[in-house]
Amino acid sequence: MATISATSATFRSSLKPSTKINEMIGKTSVTVSWAKNGFPCFRVSCAAKPETVQKVCEIVRKQLALPAESEVTPESKFSALGADSLDTVEIVMGLEEEFGISVEEESSENITTVQEAADLIEKLVQKKVEA
Amino acid sequence: MASGVLTPTRSEVLSLLRSLLRTAGDFSDYNIREYAKRRTIDGFRQNRHLSDPSTISAAFSEAKSQLEIAKRQAIVYNLYAPKAKSVMEIKQ
Repeated sequence: MATISATSATFRSSLKPSTKINEMIGKTSVTVSWAKNGFPCFRVSCAAKPETVQKVCEIVRKQLALPAESEVTPESKFSALGADSLDTVEIVMGLEEEFGISVEEESSENITTVQEAADLIEKLVQKKVEA
Repeated sequence: MASGVLTPTRSEVLSLLRSLLRTAGDFSDYNIREYAKRRTIDGFRQNRHLSDPSTISAAFSEAKSQLEIAKRQAIVYNLYAPKAKSVMEIKQ
């Protein structure tokens, strides 16, 4: 108990929305309300973050053994890069492992481009943070 | 005997692949986990170009029985998993 109050004391001094976070540390559930003060665009999942897209591109490149010069843009379709359905399933499993998410059956069958994969990942990561 | 069985569709095959890979990831032993992943990928790739419905059904049911075995063994292995991790799992 003493250690918990010590950590909450350090949070109090460092972060701006302090009281909200202190209450949340006391409870076990964490809400995403601190995002309201920082980045309002968290609520709106319009485009995926560039780092996410970058990581997806890397995983795709490694799975399909593409040479370093080949272009992997967010709009490139997996089938255009030479992936068949088995490769797509492997890519989705690799993404699940990398980001620690769990993709549904129906969602994974609809993924055809890099951008779609990144958007789905963002949505699932956000849902995981909220849970 | 297998003539009354329907040929599995593409999505059934893919979801079987997904279940196998997920179950393979549940093993605590690094070696078994990696082998299971490798073997499922190799097995599915090898049978990629089958066209005869009865061979497709046979391969599908074989994979299904392997999935049952893998699920059972994952539970049994996890009951007695050693605490020490394989050296390959230590991140540099």
